[in-house]
Amino acid sequence: MELSTILPIARQELTVAIRNKWTTIFALVFGSLVLAISYFGTMTAGEIGFQGFNRTTASLLSLVLYLIPLVALMMGTQSFLRNEGEDEMLFSQPVSRSEILAGKLLGLFAAMTTATFIGFGIGGIVIATQTDAEGFLGYPAFVMLSLILSLVFLSLSMLAAIASRRRTKAFGIALLLWFFFVILYDLLVLGGSLLLKERSANYFIFASLFGNPVDIVRVAGLLSMKGGEVFGAAGAALLKFLGGYGQAIGALIVGLLVWTVAPILVSFRLLRDQDI
Amino acid sequence: MINVQGLTKRFGSFTAVDDVSFEVREGETFALLGPNGSGKSTILKCIAGLIKPTSGEITVRGIDTCKRPQEARKALSFLPQRVGFHDCLTAREVLEFYCRLRKLPASRIEDVVHGSEFNFNGFSDKRVSELSGGMRQKLGLAVACLADAPVLLLDEPTVSLDPAGAIAFRKFLKTLKDNGKTIVFTSHVLADVEMLADRVAVLVDGKLTALVTREELRMQIADNRRSLEEIYLDYAKTA
Repeated sequence: MELSTILPIARQELTVAIRNKWTTIFALVFGSLVLAISYFGTMTAGEIGFQGFNRTTASLLSLVLYLIPLVALMMGTQSFLRNEGEDEMLFSQPVSRSEILAGKLLGLFAAMTTATFIGFGIGGIVIATQTDAEGFLGYPAFVMLSLILSLVFLSLSMLAAIASRRRTKAFGIALLLWFFFVILYDLLVLGGSLLLKERSANYFIFASLFGNPVDIVRVAGLLSMKGGEVFGAAGAALLKFLGGYGQAIGALIVGLLVWTVAPILVSFRLLRDQDI
Repeated sequence: MINVQGLTKRFGSFTAVDDVSFEVREGETFALLGPNGSGKSTILKCIAGLIKPTSGEITVRGIDTCKRPQEARKALSFLPQRVGFHDCLTAREVLEFYCRLRKLPASRIEDVVHGSEFNFNGFSDKRVSELSGGMRQKLGLAVACLADAPVLLLDEPTVSLDPAGAIAFRKFLKTLKDNGKTIVFTSHVLADVEMLADRVAVLVDGKLTALVTREELRMQIADNRRSLEEIYLDYAKTA
């Protein structure tokens, strides 16, 4: 794979995402969310006003775990789906199919990164000017995790589009993936754990963490923001299971890496044998 | 220049191309003639490396298109039947993109935009969504010609052009032919074939039923006082 081939494709993908207003829409959504959560977050306690980074980030994390996978899956599926005339022109150039996929993925990730930085960046600046800087360091970590989550789900959208090839089927699979990872998976794990003895159930739940990139990001987010103590006894057991705080962070990063790379490799393999 | 040997392509149980063999010589204009579904576009896409043959071998300048597809594609440019580009890009941006992808000097874009063949003056900065079907086809052809590759593969190139556009296009292809390009095109428009092709492969139901030169075709027209359409239908019947 040559970077000089991948970059023009990525650049075009980014241009298209910006011109089609996707990036602007997501930046506005992300920015509005940050400000709304920060401002109205304590409304149930009878207060209104900007709250600090600690509270805002924790609330945002829960919301982002729903939103980012959906946005990345929709945006990615739309882009990786075949467009007959366009693809015939592109794939007949002296470039490899994996270079084309890598270029598109990089371009989409750049678009998501732009939207995330603008949206969360503006929101972060407003919070910083209105509140104290306590918990500020957790905020960039949260933004980075959001980006990693978007990359994972862009890779999955690539696989969904290439494996299914048809528009309706691809979007159907993308929505199913979102539903499975964001909603169904945890219910299945909890249900499964009820069938096991306590000790086995604990190990089952800890191991199942790596079967869902959303859960990995959730745990990594909470660990990076507040350390292991946020989970109480269960967190201590999890950290022990993973070999300590440092090892836990390392294992979670490896888990996310696998969730990013595996769909890309399977997509490369599938596309290699497909007719355009 | 291009050698196709025993090419077969099946889509499930349907055989789109059935054991087709032919050779295209350097500088030759070669037409694949046949009705819709005869397999001509499939053959062209196999040569371009877009479709993998079920069996058979294709070489471009001696390079196997299946084993070394990228290298083989360096020698050719492909114009699909339905040209597509991102609607939000301008014609110039499309050209710039393909220029970068092929690692060509930026001056090639100016050559194409201001060249007499394409004459993009006035609308090179228009978005693809604002271009007519004919203009998009013209942009597709400009992209295909950008790399100045020795082999041009054109899939039904005049289908979406109006009469004036088709005439201009044929004229342009003649110029390319005179410049020594090897051109393979598919068509069911007999006028294209009669005017441009040095040799014609007639395809019916995925099978090669005849391989004739333009002179042979013209002689058959003159001798039998029949139209090209009638001669083509005769070939189809004998398949």
